[in-house]
Amino acid sequence: MKNAAIIFKKEIKEVIKNKNIWMPILIITVIFSIGMPLAITIGSNAILKDSDTINFINKVFGYTDDPMRVLIGFTIKQFLILLLMIPAMVPSLIAPASIIMEKESNTLEPLLATPIKTSELMLGKSLTALVPAFAISTINFILLAAVVDITSYIKLGFVPLPTIEWAVVAFVLSPIISFIITIISIIISSKSTDIRSAQGIGSVIIIPIYAIIGFQIAGFFLMNIVYLLLGCLVLILICPLLLKLCAKIFDRENVLTKWKMK
Amino acid sequence: MIEVRNLTKKFEIVTAVDNISFEIAESEIFGFLGPNGAGKTTTIRMLSTLISPTSGKIIVDGKDPQKDGGYIRSIVGLLTETPGMYEKISGYDNLDYYSSFYNVSDKKRKDNIKKYLKMFDLWDRKDDLAGTYSKGMKQKLALARALIHEPRILFLDEPTAGLDPESAHMVRNFIENLQKEKTTVFLCTHNLEEASSLSDRVCIIKKKIIKIASLTELQNDKKSKKVEIVFKDNARKYMKILRQIKEITDIEAQDNKINISLKNAEIINPVVIKSLVDSGAEILYFNEIKASLEEIYLDLIRKEEK
Repeated sequence: MKNAAIIFKKEIKEVIKNKNIWMPILIITVIFSIGMPLAITIGSNAILKDSDTINFINKVFGYTDDPMRVLIGFTIKQFLILLLMIPAMVPSLIAPASIIMEKESNTLEPLLATPIKTSELMLGKSLTALVPAFAISTINFILLAAVVDITSYIKLGFVPLPTIEWAVVAFVLSPIISFIITIISIIISSKSTDIRSAQGIGSVIIIPIYAIIGFQIAGFFLMNIVYLLLGCLVLILICPLLLKLCAKIFDRENVLTKWKMK
Repeated sequence: MIEVRNLTKKFEIVTAVDNISFEIAESEIFGFLGPNGAGKTTTIRMLSTLISPTSGKIIVDGKDPQKDGGYIRSIVGLLTETPGMYEKISGYDNLDYYSSFYNVSDKKRKDNIKKYLKMFDLWDRKDDLAGTYSKGMKQKLALARALIHEPRILFLDEPTAGLDPESAHMVRNFIENLQKEKTTVFLCTHNLEEASSLSDRVCIIKKKIIKIASLTELQNDKKSKKVEIVFKDNARKYMKILRQIKEITDIEAQDNKINISLKNAEIINPVVIKSLVDSGAEILYFNEIKASLEEIYLDLIRKEEK
């Protein structure tokens, strides 16, 4: 564990210094966790004056006496799913470079020649992507709750968050997604021949998450607690399989001798 | 300290190292020489536990790399052929990072970082990003990295590549001094002068071992010896006499010197001297010219290629 912590400490400093990682995350945070929820909550009265919106709410949720609450609830569901792009995106920006960068800069061989264990190396590299992913995602989900609650309370007199759905997405689904994307990214990084291809493939693996976001926004389904728990269960079952695959692929010898032969 | 028995490494259909065996004693400097692709780096990687052999046995400090990889890695230092550094952190932080993985106290670690950075003239630049270092500085930093935990076995792959003559000289002196500290050095180099001046023994390899011996043994093994004869007067007039001796295979004359190559030198040298003296030659010097490691190496590699 000590060696994993050493790797994490060194790598996280480099991640913190890297603006290319922080800028897109900051933009997404400002738009999706602050700007848009704020705009929708503040503008809810105006939105509900639109007859198409009322018709849509009645059609989807059935007739309601309180379309405002329904609209806010619907908006929260949309943003919860939308914010899942953050736990997916953060590791996909950090982890694909983890091993391939070491290979390209010829630092991997001296690192592997130290007494470090392969599992410690993998853990250190994984934490470098996972810790910021979890921290940033949590900040975003809390920001979303704060923005929605404050504006709803001031304007409408009620506090819609937290809900169980919010808690499951923020503290169960989001870390699982980060973990899966991190492990897949490290596998890609171990097998890649150069950093561009690693980052290219790394950006492709988050497409399924974007697809789920897109399907809900397009109205194909609407998240509820049952869907969420089922989704978490499936993803949790995938995790040990991915870990096994990662351990098999990240073999010192393969990583050192095979990547240049491709 | 290191024992290698029938070691073979295959990468799919390519045999990189073919059934090699050798032993290296504690505090020995072992020169490992061979052309590109001869299996030198693969051997170093196997000995430092980075890759496993296809067959054969390795024992390092009495331990098996397959079972005690962690222990072996803790007592070896490795300078790779193309050493890389984390370019976005300082030279000091690079050493601090790598040295953290060894079981060394914080004080000792910091003392060692200071010691080696000063030794390699990098102390004044310790806080600069490693990416701003020249090629030679990076090489010295990599050497410091290999030494930072004071390993008992040091694998050096081209340690003076990219260094200016002064730094290269300093590094060679340093390697020589490691012997006093009982460090075993496994030295891979294409610089044969360096190998001959530093190594107790050399191993010439081209996938298989061609020869393992000390330089003196290699020189004595050579069947054809070179002799330089210095005369009081012009040497050319003695060429005719020397050509009559059939064991002399080559003669070159310049001013008052003649260089001859001959077989069975111990038997023929007295014959040569007698013939020359009988013909009235006044010989000032009669010296054996020892073959250089380069000559011996090229000779052995060419023979292997035939």
